[in-house]
Amino acid sequence: MLSLFVLLPFLAIVMLNLPLKTVTRQLALWFGIALSAGQVFVVIFQPDVFWNGTDLLGRFFTLRLQADNLSMVMLLSIGIVTFAAILVGRQTIADSRLRFNFMNLVLLSLIGMNGTVLLTDLFSLYIFIEVVAISSFILIAFQRDLNALEGAFKYIILSAVATVLMLLSVSVLLMAAGDTSFSSVAAAVKNSSSSHFVRFAIGIFICGLFIKGGLVPFHGWLPAAYSMAPAAVSVLLAGIVTKVSGIYALIRLSTSVFGPDSSLNAVLMIAGAVSIVIGALAATGQSDFKRMLAYSSISQVGYIILALGCGTKLALVGAVFHLFNHSIFKSLLFVNSAAVEQQTGTSDMDKMGGLGSRMPYTNATSLIAFLSTAGVPPLAGFWSKLIIVIALWQSGYYIYAFIAILSSIITLGYLLSMQRRVFFGILSDKLQAVREAGFGIVFPACVLAAITVGVGLSFPFIFNSFIIPIGAFLK
Amino acid sequence: MLLLIVFVPLTGAFTLPIAGRVSDRLRNLLALGFVLISLVLTAAISMPVFSGETVTSAAIFNNVYNFVLYADGLAVFMAFVSALISAIIIFYSFGYISHYENQNEYYLMVVLFFGGMMGLVFSGNLIFLYLFWEITAITSWRLIGFFREKQHVLRADKAFMVTMFGSVLMLVGFISIYQQTGSFELAAIKSALGTGHLSNLAAALILAGILSKSATLPLHTWLPDAGVAPSPVTALLHAALLVKIGVYVFARLFVATFTVDEFWHTAVPVIAAVSALVSAGAAMVDTDLKRIIAYSTVSQIGFIFLGLSIGNEIGVAGALLYIMMHGLAKGGLFLCAGIVEQNTKIKDITKLGGLIKTMPITAVSFLLCAFSVMGIPPFGGFFSKYMVIAGAVQSGHLWISLTFLVGAFLTIIYLLRVFNMVFLGEVRFAGVKEGSAVMVISVAVLAVLSLAGGILIYWPCQFVLSTIQQLPGIVK
Repeated sequence: MLSLFVLLPFLAIVMLNLPLKTVTRQLALWFGIALSAGQVFVVIFQPDVFWNGTDLLGRFFTLRLQADNLSMVMLLSIGIVTFAAILVGRQTIADSRLRFNFMNLVLLSLIGMNGTVLLTDLFSLYIFIEVVAISSFILIAFQRDLNALEGAFKYIILSAVATVLMLLSVSVLLMAAGDTSFSSVAAAVKNSSSSHFVRFAIGIFICGLFIKGGLVPFHGWLPAAYSMAPAAVSVLLAGIVTKVSGIYALIRLSTSVFGPDSSLNAVLMIAGAVSIVIGALAATGQSDFKRMLAYSSISQVGYIILALGCGTKLALVGAVFHLFNHSIFKSLLFVNSAAVEQQTGTSDMDKMGGLGSRMPYTNATSLIAFLSTAGVPPLAGFWSKLIIVIALWQSGYYIYAFIAILSSIITLGYLLSMQRRVFFGILSDKLQAVREAGFGIVFPACVLAAITVGVGLSFPFIFNSFIIPIGAFLK
Repeated sequence: MLLLIVFVPLTGAFTLPIAGRVSDRLRNLLALGFVLISLVLTAAISMPVFSGETVTSAAIFNNVYNFVLYADGLAVFMAFVSALISAIIIFYSFGYISHYENQNEYYLMVVLFFGGMMGLVFSGNLIFLYLFWEITAITSWRLIGFFREKQHVLRADKAFMVTMFGSVLMLVGFISIYQQTGSFELAAIKSALGTGHLSNLAAALILAGILSKSATLPLHTWLPDAGVAPSPVTALLHAALLVKIGVYVFARLFVATFTVDEFWHTAVPVIAAVSALVSAGAAMVDTDLKRIIAYSTVSQIGFIFLGLSIGNEIGVAGALLYIMMHGLAKGGLFLCAGIVEQNTKIKDITKLGGLIKTMPITAVSFLLCAFSVMGIPPFGGFFSKYMVIAGAVQSGHLWISLTFLVGAFLTIIYLLRVFNMVFLGEVRFAGVKEGSAVMVISVAVLAVLSLAGGILIYWPCQFVLSTIQQLPGIVK
């Protein structure tokens, strides 16, 4: 009953906006929590009824949905991050009317993301990516101040460019294939691999996805959008939205629709390596907490794309595993930044210091998240980077392997400076009154930290049974 | 049994902050208890190991990430020495650290560090060796920045980054070994390599990691800077455990597991010689008490590398003895420095003087430990230094041996200079007291052990010689 992933959030939105506002406002939050938690549940426990039951509702729609292991990992990440973002939103958005709007938009985003990872059709993929994008525009501009509008505006402009590129590409491919389903496009690409027309279409589609995923050199919108958005929205955006609409689509299309193709892979590797280095270097110079995390995101996404370009099965397993890990630890860092921002009223790291003694849980979870980001064992981020580097080394990309691994030193460097400026050190007098953030922030932080530690520690156990099978989505 | 040695401190560490909420005393005793459990179990395991067997416990996952713990003579020797010194240092901390905040974090990190060290020592899989290696790096990062001042935290970051730089290079080296042999497990690598030797690229990358961790030139700069940590931490990190990690991994990989190209048998002694001389020179001119001792560590590590890298029987035996003797004596020096620093609040040796009158036991302990580091007979340090240099001469590295003799001579000068300026001369202060009983007992024990290690050299020597029988990489 795959269509439920899309239909349930849709029904939830419809129900919430029935003219019974006083009731639905209370319900909105619980709808979101139930849906995201339910999504995590069905992916982890794999109830047979759900996955193999006849999809009665789906018969009314022409969407062809399909869930392979890659989609499963994505659905899991979407569920977890949305859950965290909703809880953070509940804590940080004080006005109940705004909170209601926030919930509706998150549910809309959930429809878009779930659809994106389940679809098997290029045009529908484009539509659902746009659904995600539209809810993101509004979410970023949520506070309606100048900064928020600036962030949203940058995103809209670059996203519009991406939209045009992708739509144009879809239309060209429709001409070549006569149909936009993945299988027929893949066949058309294979048959006319020398056609400049088709290659052009592939190229601009990939460019569109680079913009959506915030890869260098199309990353201009990303730091502004992440840092200007409200705390809960940054969690959602950084944790999963760009990963689904940009990175997931790249993985899916480059492996089973447009490729595998050696020149495409070469482009991906270069873009990945450049993103890793530029993102990491740009992050070192930031003094705004969320901007630093945004640049760090660009750098981490680079690892995923680099591994994707490497193209071996192990590399792709590493890429998807890193995508999952990244969505966990980056959301965790943004949850922590939300906690710090809410308690101190600023996101300028130079005005902080010594918060560790006042916010022990935020401090500890941020420590876990940043060590995982920097690839320090035994946390989850280490294992995915290790797989990626091993895969690169085995394929003979020694230079890329060195770039990947030496950049983790830069990553460690800027995250150490973050930890030092925010949490470590001596508490200044102005910040004496700071207290630990509320339950709505601390709880998701602890859950995400537990996932990072748990996956890291159990990695050798689950390597054969969960990690390697991810690669089964490759034909 | 092996699992207990590693996981009692590793998991036990996390109970310490909880225990700390109940009572400080309970937490302290638990911390010491976890280390003592490891010490006792290591001693228990040493019986079968020294009769020539090896002990293995493994969790097999049927992939390259099998968790293998493996105990041979080398591992048991190293674990025993580390546990012994750690126990004394934790005992000393009861007195030293009780004056400061964040004690829960301190004990958590120290015991976690110790657990990481035990895991590293017994690890039979390169990936887990790396994993434990980084656990020691994270914990030492928190420990160096313990006092939270900006300068301290910056230096902690520096130490973390330098060692991390080395260790990721080492990780690439491990991956290239994996490429060459198809496994991360030491036993499998050994049989896959057969008589062939390790590729030079892998050897160089791994060496970078080892040099950064053992603070050898050119990656040594973090170590003197890390002297801002609390004294028991510097003793733990600089003398007893952290810097020995690199040396141990060198012995484990390059002596006990792989054979490397002939080139490295010359290159490593040369690096070690330069490192020993340069840092001895730095120790001569510095005026900060802890920095001098730290530079001295860099210099002494050079001797250990010399012994291990020339690879003949007497050299390796000397190097292993050196690990033990240096750990005891240098640990003692740092702890004495801690007493001086805590009671006078001064680290600059030019401003100190005459402390032998007010803190006689500390002064005598310092002198005894210094004698051992210098290599004065009959202290333990003499035998190890003698064996290392004898080994170098035997293998025909005459010039390198002479360089090290100069290094040894410089050691005598700068340590006597420190002793002279801190403890002798005019009394500059009134009202400086001897350290608390716990602290003074700890340093006295270390000093006595350094002396006893020399007088009763027969026992440690037997220990080491039976260890050497299990090492295939020895040049006969």
